[in-house]
Amino acid sequence: MDQLEILKKQWQEREQELPTLSYDSIYKMLLKKSSSIVKWIFLISIGELLFWISLNFLMPESQKEIISDMEIGNVIFYSNIVHFIIFGIFIIYFYKNYQSIQVTDDTKSLMKSILNTRKTVKYFVYYNVGMFILSSIALNSFFYNRSDQLYELMDFATKDIAQDSFASIFIVSQIIVGVSFLGILILFYWLVYGLLLKRLKRNYKELKKMEL
Amino acid sequence: MNKELEHSFVTQLEANQNIVHKICRLYTHDSDSHKDLFQEITIQLWRAFPKFRGDSKFSTWMYRVALNTAITLYRKSKRSIKTQDFESISFKISSEAYDDTEEEQLKLMYSAVKELNDIDKALVFLYLEDKSYREISAALGISEVNARVKMNRTKEKLRKILNP
Repeated sequence: MDQLEILKKQWQEREQELPTLSYDSIYKMLLKKSSSIVKWIFLISIGELLFWISLNFLMPESQKEIISDMEIGNVIFYSNIVHFIIFGIFIIYFYKNYQSIQVTDDTKSLMKSILNTRKTVKYFVYYNVGMFILSSIALNSFFYNRSDQLYELMDFATKDIAQDSFASIFIVSQIIVGVSFLGILILFYWLVYGLLLKRLKRNYKELKKMEL
Repeated sequence: MNKELEHSFVTQLEANQNIVHKICRLYTHDSDSHKDLFQEITIQLWRAFPKFRGDSKFSTWMYRVALNTAITLYRKSKRSIKTQDFESISFKISSEAYDDTEEEQLKLMYSAVKELNDIDKALVFLYLEDKSYREISAALGISEVNARVKMNRTKEKLRKILNP
């Protein structure tokens, strides 16, 4: 291909037009921080953990009272601990992935290890979304079964609602809140992790195609 | 020890920096992202440097780490300016010896290369650098035969971009 040959010739002849950095400015770069994809995944997951933990502290007093009066405080406390331990295990995995990625490997094996990170991310997202759905169902069916007690405990909000319709109003509003929250959660994961890894997946597919 | 390592690294990178600049030009569209990518490649080279054993040439090793970074780790900005940069930052026309049609073809070719995907770009880059298929296959982690086949396909793609 003639044009490519011309470009090749020019490519080598025109090297002196490239910028030149001094020893000092290259040295300064060593001290800066990387901004690679894998590092971002690791940092975002830590930020997320902190967010969920802080959410627990922000729970309003009235809700805390309901939880303790319904005698499920312990259940929630222990399941939270289990949840955060699992969360922590994921973060360890993210960190290990981050550490194990060796840029010296050839492009394909490097991409493979990054896509393993992607797999960890995927399980992490499945776990979080799944846990959210399961715990919402469990908690709400518990509340639903004991709606009479809940009606009395929530007197600050239920003054204007008849007791017979309370259970259904409660469950409908919980479903609406739950589904919209789930939507936000999935959107968040899709935006943050999905987009971060999209290009990588495309590149890997491209390399995979070469093997055929 | 660490100081020595730093010194040896920076000296070698300084001497071979044109490799990194050329990759930055191919993979970015403006001088800011050029700097960003250069920075990221430098960091990745430095992180990987302790594992550089010297069994290959420093420059060969650099090709691999730098391309890996450009293809896999770098978060590209969404901004993309397509053809303009040929004149503005990449290939300043300095000599009068070229006739216009050749110059024109050169520009078209260069902008066609920039339209390729990350992997094809890497292939063309290594080709322009006059690397053997063996070196190309080592850098990308594919077999030599596949590198050859893929290179032909990439040339075909370029032809299609140039003559749609």
